[in-house]
Amino acid sequence: MKKLLCILLAVAFLAPLFAGGKQEAAAGGPVTIKVWFHSGKGEEREVLNAQIKEFNTMQNEVKVEAVMLPEGSYNEQVSAAALAGDLPDLLDFDGPYVYNYAWSGHLIPLDKYISADLKSDLLPSIVAQGTYGGKIYALGTFDSGLAIWGNKAYLKKAGIRIPKGIQDPWDFNEFNTALKKLQALDEVKYAIDFKMNYGQGEWYTYGFSPIVQSFGGDLIDRSDYQSAEGVLNGPESVAAMKWFQSLFKEGYSNVKPAGDDDFYGKKIAALSYVGHWMWTPHSKALGNDLVLLPMPKFGKKVVTGMGSWCWGITSQAKHPDAAWKFLSYLMQPSQILFMTNANGAVPSRKSALARSKLYGKGGPLEIFADQLKAGLGMPRPITPAYPTITTAFAEAVQNIVTGADVKTELDKAVKKIDQDIKDNKGYPLPK
Amino acid sequence: MRQTKSTTFGKFMERFLKYAFLTILALFFLFPLVFMFVSSVKNNEMQVVSDMSNIRGFIPYGDLGFQNYLDVFTRMNFGRFMFNSVFITVTTVVLGMIFNSMLAFALARLRFKGQHFIVSLIISLMIIPIESVVIPMLLMVNKVGWIDSYQVQIVPFIAEPFFIYLFYQFFIGIPRDFDEAAVVDGASPATIYYRIIVPLSRPVFASVAILQSIFRWNEFLWPLMVTRGETYRPLTVAMQQFFSQDPKLWGDIFAFASMITLPLLILFLFFQKWFIRSVASSGIKG
Amino acid sequence: MKSDISNASSSVSMKMQRRREALTAWLFSAPSLLLLLFFLIIPFIMAFVLSLTDQRMIPNPNLPTEFIGLRNYIRLFGEETFYRAILNNFIFAAIVVPLQTSFALILAMLINQKLKMINLYRTIYFSPVVVTMVVVAVVWSNLFNPTEGFINQFLKFISFGRIQPIGWLQDTHWAFPAIMILSIWQGVGFQMVIFLAGLQDIPAELYEAARVDGASKWQQFRFVTLPQLRNTTIFVVITTTILAFKLFTQVWVLTKGGPQNATMTTIVFLYRQGFRQLRVGYASTIAVVFFLIVLTISLFQRVFLKEEGGR
Repeated sequence: MKKLLCILLAVAFLAPLFAGGKQEAAAGGPVTIKVWFHSGKGEEREVLNAQIKEFNTMQNEVKVEAVMLPEGSYNEQVSAAALAGDLPDLLDFDGPYVYNYAWSGHLIPLDKYISADLKSDLLPSIVAQGTYGGKIYALGTFDSGLAIWGNKAYLKKAGIRIPKGIQDPWDFNEFNTALKKLQALDEVKYAIDFKMNYGQGEWYTYGFSPIVQSFGGDLIDRSDYQSAEGVLNGPESVAAMKWFQSLFKEGYSNVKPAGDDDFYGKKIAALSYVGHWMWTPHSKALGNDLVLLPMPKFGKKVVTGMGSWCWGITSQAKHPDAAWKFLSYLMQPSQILFMTNANGAVPSRKSALARSKLYGKGGPLEIFADQLKAGLGMPRPITPAYPTITTAFAEAVQNIVTGADVKTELDKAVKKIDQDIKDNKGYPLPK
Repeated sequence: MRQTKSTTFGKFMERFLKYAFLTILALFFLFPLVFMFVSSVKNNEMQVVSDMSNIRGFIPYGDLGFQNYLDVFTRMNFGRFMFNSVFITVTTVVLGMIFNSMLAFALARLRFKGQHFIVSLIISLMIIPIESVVIPMLLMVNKVGWIDSYQVQIVPFIAEPFFIYLFYQFFIGIPRDFDEAAVVDGASPATIYYRIIVPLSRPVFASVAILQSIFRWNEFLWPLMVTRGETYRPLTVAMQQFFSQDPKLWGDIFAFASMITLPLLILFLFFQKWFIRSVASSGIKG
Repeated sequence: MKSDISNASSSVSMKMQRRREALTAWLFSAPSLLLLLFFLIIPFIMAFVLSLTDQRMIPNPNLPTEFIGLRNYIRLFGEETFYRAILNNFIFAAIVVPLQTSFALILAMLINQKLKMINLYRTIYFSPVVVTMVVVAVVWSNLFNPTEGFINQFLKFISFGRIQPIGWLQDTHWAFPAIMILSIWQGVGFQMVIFLAGLQDIPAELYEAARVDGASKWQQFRFVTLPQLRNTTIFVVITTTILAFKLFTQVWVLTKGGPQNATMTTIVFLYRQGFRQLRVGYASTIAVVFFLIVLTISLFQRVFLKEEGGR
């Protein structure tokens, strides 16, 4: 019985590996590649569908067959497919989740495809996000920006200096004073909205780890990615999270906002700590009162969040060259702009960036681009342990903002992270 | 004379209080559903969001209409997902009622070696939550190439210990004289099952139909793991599309939610009278 | 002599009949049993095997899955969150099962009256049952909103402003009760219908006899209704207990087990380990331990609530 089970299990686990190696005989006509992508924003979907259509008609060597998977559960679906061994040729990943796939050999390095021109034109953050173990595994057509949006009317009324750009951000004291002054205004119920309504999840890590990093802490020791001990629970990180906790304790921010629109609808929040994706609702509702402020210098340095969806070619791909052909089409500056003009994200190439109305010179969102070009964006930890790190950190944040002891929570997170790394033998790099 | 008056008045009061009480309870059960429906017919997305967190969420006012419903249809292949969900649910439920009741019949009315063991087995299998077996199951269905199909969403859920147990409980309560009389007449077990047990058990069939429909209709984790494209995707998975983006389009979410709730509500409306009445009319005493 | 032969032949025919009956029984059982074997029993055994390994969700050919003995079990029993999850399941069952069962019985008795439009009320009370849990959770999360949500506004109104706003899903004390309220709201209609069927099954003569004996309404309830509903009640209690232990969807949508594990349940914990942290082996361990715990409970329940009319 036991033997039978072992065989059963072995067959179940190993078979996909062999199945993946099968080669289809190259026949005449176009090669078909399977592409998966998350169906998020409507505009993103429409653009990508248009791009696929155009790509399929403009040449007859590669035919793209695309499948949209709902974003809400995309990660679960992709990992189920990896387990079942039926990943497509090309698919997109939510930024840091890509490393686990690269580590376990489900993705192929793209270095041989990427020309020097392309590489030097990419935003540094995009290269950093896609690189694992010295090789580039993923490329994104757009990046994200994180900063603070302000209500100019409130800022002026409270007599607060409005920074012009990334050269003169608020420092820690200025930021705290600003909060105090804004909180004192009658119209303002909460000085700053941290988008806690997004709930415990990726937002916590994306949005709040830059605060920790600005204070001088981090989620993990990035020298070898073997431990978070003394880093995530080190004095800098503890100080950052204690300060963060105090913002909620003292009523500057709401742990559970009534809705999404405290800043732009009800206008009871003076500042909104959130990314570029709120541009449309913010600008619609606030008009000329909207001002974009650079990320403050909380501690030693300015750090902003970054990273977004990016494409990778799988090792199960029967036609990796064909997949690259499509990906390089998507990476053309004109296609990047087509996408980013629709979804409002930061174009991932400098040449596209310069031509962007939103992010180019004098554009309303230039600060986001400047932050990324200046290399202020720090990628989330580049390690297959990322799912564990983000879960552990998000849980700690949730508990901390609701009043738990900061050091205890961070210690717990460290323990979970270190144990995971140890269980996986330090996540040795693929040969 | 006075007495009659006071009793009619008393009766009226009693009746009034009863209805008042029933209505308060009805409000308790209805208010989230009203909230859902009212929000779904507000055309202005900004209004939906700002009303959502307070009492105005229950009041239909402003720009009302079915724009959100139209949006759902234009933004996704709603008809396809609806068909998938209906097809999967109906097929599973019909097959499930047949197979589960057959096993229960064998366990409750026939004698064979090992039946006590099977009864205990069924009872302990009731405990296993789907979340704990999806991964091994995924590996198995992947082996037989069932990924992304209808059968992968139907076959594993036909046999369900909970429903077998429901049937078993019911069949065991049916007096033995019924089938003993039939046996004397030379009826085979199959005839007894078909001619006697099934007609007497309409209430339990109705309950299982309703329950299994609810369970199947709402299944989320499994279809998520085993469907890939849109061809076989059910409504619950399709709904995820709305939860992915910030800011969320709440108007569309509530329109979608209303539309996936409606079929089951209608199903219950059709079945309920029938199945509660048939309990009373079947003349079975517990 | 003659009677001997007839005895023998009748016992042979009895045996034949027995064998035929058994054959039919197996034929009747086979489809369901095979399905259960393939889609429940074998997967569960595989889960047990996985629980002894470090299987990952995304398998890595360079670091193959290894047998690690009881490491997962040892670690699980050293994990604070796991005890919290189990404890929460027990608390949930201990509060929700009696509350929901009695509420369902009250509703069923209300609905069992001969009043006009009673069918409408019955449908309304049942309607939450048919709403997808994800939808229920989304709607309630808005109602539970601390500052402006309907529930806090309502409490403020009926208490003339004396009840301070409650952070339902954020407060460690209130998050779990909030989940309980929502779960009862969603689930009670189903038990109501079962009780209703049970009530309509009670012969009217029993009540008449009790009335002739001068029994009050309460006595009728105590000495006729309750004993007659015994089997129904047992059924409702057992199924509600099992459902209470499987508590997952509403928690996952609303709180993901937080704040500070206040709403952590075993299945939420399992899901988080398996699908978010991609530790299939560890998640399988939770599944096995969970199964053993709930099995023990339902065995106890069965012993204490011995059904009448059973075998």
